[in-house]
Amino acid sequence: MTISCNGEELILNKERAIYWPAKEMLIISDLHIGKSAHFRKHGIQVPANIGNDDLERLGKLIGFYDPKTLVITGDMFHHKINSDVTLFSEWRKKFGGLKISLIKGNHDLLKSQEYQSLNIDLIPRELISAPFRLIHEQPKSLEKDEYYTISGHIHPGVTIYGKARQRLNLPCFYFGEHHAVLPAFSAFTGLSRIQPEKNDRFYAITPSGIIAV
Amino acid sequence: MGIETSKGYKQVIKWLKLSRKKPFRFQTDAWQYYAEGYCGLVNAPTGFGKTFSLFLAVVIEELNSRTEKKGIASKKKKADTGLKLIWITPLRALAKDLARAMREVCAELELDWQVSVRNGDTSAAEKLKQKKQMPEVLIITPESMHLLLAQKNTATHFHHLQCIVADEWHELMGSKRGVMAELAISRIRGIVQEKHPERLLRIWGISATIGNMEQALEVLVPYPEVFKIIIKADIEKKIKIKSILPDHIDMLPWAGHLGHKLAHKLLPIIHKSKTTLIFTNTRGQAELWYQNLLNLDENLAGQIAIHHGSIDFELRNWIEDALHSGILKAVISTSSLDLGVDFKPVDTVVQIGSPKGVARFLQRAGRSGHSPHETSVIYFLPTHALELVEAAAIKEAAKTQQIESRDPVVMAFDTLVQYLVTLAVGDGFDDQKIYREVKETHAFSELLPSEWGWIMQFITTGGDSLTAYTEFSKVLKKEGLWKVESRQIAMRHRLHIGTIVSDPMLKVKYLGGGFIGMVEESFISKLKAGNSFTLAGRVLEFIMVKEMTALVRRSKKKSAITPSWMGGRISLSANLGSILRKKYNETLEKNHQDEELDIILPLFERQAKVSHVPKSDEFLIELIHTKDGYHFFAYPFEGRQVHEVMAALIAFRLSRQTPISFSIAMNDYGFELLSEYPIPLDEANIKELFSPANLGEDIVGSINSTEMAKRKFRDIACISGLVFQGFPGKYTANKHLQSSAALFFNVFSDYDPHNLLLRQAYDEAFYQQIEEPRLLAALQRIQLSKIILVKAESYTPLCFPIKVDSLRENMSTEELGQRIERMTAEADQKMRPPHLKSRKKNDHQL
Repeated sequence: MTISCNGEELILNKERAIYWPAKEMLIISDLHIGKSAHFRKHGIQVPANIGNDDLERLGKLIGFYDPKTLVITGDMFHHKINSDVTLFSEWRKKFGGLKISLIKGNHDLLKSQEYQSLNIDLIPRELISAPFRLIHEQPKSLEKDEYYTISGHIHPGVTIYGKARQRLNLPCFYFGEHHAVLPAFSAFTGLSRIQPEKNDRFYAITPSGIIAV
Repeated sequence: MGIETSKGYKQVIKWLKLSRKKPFRFQTDAWQYYAEGYCGLVNAPTGFGKTFSLFLAVVIEELNSRTEKKGIASKKKKADTGLKLIWITPLRALAKDLARAMREVCAELELDWQVSVRNGDTSAAEKLKQKKQMPEVLIITPESMHLLLAQKNTATHFHHLQCIVADEWHELMGSKRGVMAELAISRIRGIVQEKHPERLLRIWGISATIGNMEQALEVLVPYPEVFKIIIKADIEKKIKIKSILPDHIDMLPWAGHLGHKLAHKLLPIIHKSKTTLIFTNTRGQAELWYQNLLNLDENLAGQIAIHHGSIDFELRNWIEDALHSGILKAVISTSSLDLGVDFKPVDTVVQIGSPKGVARFLQRAGRSGHSPHETSVIYFLPTHALELVEAAAIKEAAKTQQIESRDPVVMAFDTLVQYLVTLAVGDGFDDQKIYREVKETHAFSELLPSEWGWIMQFITTGGDSLTAYTEFSKVLKKEGLWKVESRQIAMRHRLHIGTIVSDPMLKVKYLGGGFIGMVEESFISKLKAGNSFTLAGRVLEFIMVKEMTALVRRSKKKSAITPSWMGGRISLSANLGSILRKKYNETLEKNHQDEELDIILPLFERQAKVSHVPKSDEFLIELIHTKDGYHFFAYPFEGRQVHEVMAALIAFRLSRQTPISFSIAMNDYGFELLSEYPIPLDEANIKELFSPANLGEDIVGSINSTEMAKRKFRDIACISGLVFQGFPGKYTANKHLQSSAALFFNVFSDYDPHNLLLRQAYDEAFYQQIEEPRLLAALQRIQLSKIILVKAESYTPLCFPIKVDSLRENMSTEELGQRIERMTAEADQKMRPPHLKSRKKNDHQL
C-alpha cells in the first residue's frame, strides 16, 4: 500500500517494512536478532528457526525493492552476541553491497567493533533525512520542529472491532499528526496497543495485505 | 491386637476425659487402622475432629514407641528428633489454626514436639531455622513442599518421617495443586523407601463428602501394594438453610451479581448473631459489600472486616485472631475462608449470590456452628431474581444429599515439567528412578515412554533437533544426575513454583509505609495519580507505581472504584443444573413448598407472557432482533462451561453452510449467538443442530477456531516456565526475557507443532473446558425434549442476564482476511480504546 506522508511517497509492505522510493531506503524496526537464542540460553524453549525466518523475510524484501540503504530504527540485536547473531553475519555476506544503518535502540548493547565487523553503521541517536527524523523511541517531550518523526520500539498493535462485538488484534503501522511508529519486524514480538487520537491513521497488517483502519 | 490396650491410647483417652470428651467412633477407627499400617481417607462432617482422627493417631504411635524405647536405650532419644508428620493444607489460613490446635495437644500431653508452618507467608528466618532442625510436625502447602524439594540435601529431612496427611483433599484433588501434591508425595515416598526400606510411610487424606470418594483415595494413594481404607463417620450434621427474600420480586434486578438491593435485610441478621461470616464469590464483590454495609450502618465501623487472598498477610492474621476472640461482628470473605477453619464464635453464615455447586455451599454452611451437634445456619442472599430458583434447588440438593464429584487432573505436562526442573534445582535427579515414581502416580499413570522422552528433551535440549534449539541450556547431566547449574535459572525457577496463575500483581503500600494488599497490574495501569480505589475496605488515593509497588495514601472520599481481580469464574455444576430445571417446572405449576418460588412467580409470569418458561422436558430457544444484530438464545441450564462449548458447536454447525460470524455470550442458564445477519434457523433444523452425531469431530472443528486452547495455554506457559509472572516485591524478571503466552502459542504452532504443552492446551480445553461427556448427555436430553421456538419482541427476563453477565469470545469460520475486509467495510466501524467497556452501557438498555 502506498501512502503519502509529509509530501513523500511511502510504500507500506505487509512484511512489516516501509520502502521510501525517493531515497531508495528500506526502513524496518525492532528486528530483535538473537532474542530467541537469548531466551534459549536462559532456559526458555524458543525454536531457532524463528530467527532464521525473520532474516529470510528481510532478504526477500531486499531482493524485491533492491534498496541502497536499509535503516533499522533500533533494537536490531537483542542483548548479546549469540548463535542467532552468527546466523546474521552469514546472511550479511549475501548483501555485501547494501548499506545498513542502525539507530541505536535500548536492546542494542553490542560493542562498537562488533557492529563494525558486521558492516553496520551505528547511529547513536537519530537519523535526519528530510522531511523525516528516524529515531528508536519517540521522546516524551518532543518539541515540534520541521521534521516528522518515524520511530519503533513499542511494537504497535491495533484492535479492530466489528459488529456483533467481534475483535481482532493485529500489528500495525501508526501515523499520527507529528510522528509515526513502525511495527516490530521480528515475528517473536508481542503487541502493545496504541491509544488513538484525532487524525491518527492506522494501517493494520494481515496475512493477505495491509488495510487502513 | 487392638490399639485400646496400648499405653499411648490410654494416655490420649485419659487426656480427653479431663476435658469431658470421648472420641468418636471414626476417630478410634482411624487410630486403629493407622497403627495397623493402613493408608486411607477420613470423611466426617466439619466440627467433629477430623484433624484429631489422624493427628492423634501419629501421636499415639509416638507415645507407644517412646515407652518401648525407654527400656532399651535412653541415650538414642536425641537423634530421634526430626520430621515425623507432614500435613498438607491447601490454604494458608488453615495452617495457623491447625498449628495452634496441635501445639495445644502436644503441650497437654507433655509431648516435646515442635509444630511449624511453612508456606508463602513463612519468614526467611523461620525457614532457616527449619533447615537446621526440622520440626516434628510441618504444616505445609503443596507449593512449599516443592520448594522444599528444590533445596539442596532435602533427603536428610525425611529420616524420621512416618506419615503424610493431605487435608481438605477434595479441594486439592481437582486442581493442578493436587498433581503437585501427588508428585511431591511420590518423591518423598521414594526417598523414604530408599533410605529406610523397612519403614511403612503412611499416606492419609481428609475429605469432605464428594460424589467420588473411592476415586479420591485412589488418587492420593495409588500404590497397589498398601492396605487402604475409607473411614466414614456415621454422624449427620444439621444444617439450616434460609433465603433472604425480597418483599416483592421487583426489588431484585433481572441481572447482576452484587445484590445490594437486599443489603438492608442482612443487617438484622448480623445484629442478632454473635459473629457472621459473609461469603462472596469474588474479591471485588467483597470490597463492595464491605463499603455497602458501612454505608447502611455506621455503627458497624470497627466491627466488621474483610478477608481475601489479596489482603496483606498481617492484616489477614489479625482478622483471623479477631474471629477467634469474637470481637468482630462480621467478616466478609471470599473462598479464602472456605475451608476447615474453626472459628468458634461464628454462628451464622451468609452466602451472597449463587455458590454454583452444592458441595461448596454445604462447605461454607459448615463454617458456622462448628462444634459437634450444633446446627449450622446459612442464609442465601440472591443477587438477581433468577437466583431465587437456585436457592430452592440448593435446598433440595442439600436435603437429598446430591453432592458433586471432583475430577482429578491427569497428564498435566506443565506441572511435570515444573516438577522435574524443581528436582534439578534441588539435589538433581536420576531419570530412570523418577520416571518410575512419576508413572506410579495417578496423574501420570498413562504416561508413555515417548512422552517422558519428550519432556526430558524439553528441559535438557529445548526440543527436537528438527527445530534446532541451539544454545539451549537449562537442565544438564552432572555426575549421573540431571541438575540445573545456572544460579540465575535456579533462582527464577524457585520464584515461580506453583500452579496458580494470575495476572501480575502489584503490592499496595502507604507512602509512609505499611502494606495493604495486592491488586492486578492491569487495574493499576488504568489509574491516574489522584484516582481513588478501595482495597481491604479502605478508600485509597493512588499516587504512583515505584518498583512494582503501588504507593497510595488514605483518601478522604467516601466511595471509589473497586478493583476487579480476575479469578476464574465458577460454572454451575451438572448436578445443580438438573435440580434447577426441575424447579422451573414447579414454579408455574405451583406444586412446591419453596417460598423462593412464590416470590419469583411474577417474573415467571412475565417471561411466560413475552416468551415461554421452559419445563424440564422442554428446550427453549428465543430469537430476537435488535439494533445490535440478530440474537439467538438457548437455555440448556448446564452451566457456563458447557454452554460455552455448545454455543461454539452450534455456531460452527450453523456456519458450515454459509460463512457467518458470531459473537458468543453465556451464563449458567443459557447462551447467546449474536450475528449481524439473520440466523438460518427454524423448527425443522433445531434438533439437527443440537444433534449428538459427529460430536467429537464437530467439537474439534469448532474449538480450533475458538482459540480455547490458546486461553488454556496461558496457564501452561506460566507453569512450565516459559513465561514469568511478576511477583510483588520480588520482581526479578529480566527485561530481555519478557514475552507472552500467546506469543509462545503462536510460535510453537508454527515451528514446533509436536510440542506436548501445545497438545496439553488442546486436551485441557477438550476435557476440562468442553466436558465432552456432559455435553453429550445434554445434547441427548435436548433430542428428547420438546423444542419451543419463540420470536420475542425484546429481551426477556431469561435472556437479560446473559446479555449483561457474560464472557465473550469470537467464533468464525470465515477466512481471517475476509472477516477483516467485511469488518472494515462497515460504516459504523470504529476503534475504541481498550479500557473503555462501552458495551456494558448498551447492554443495560432493554
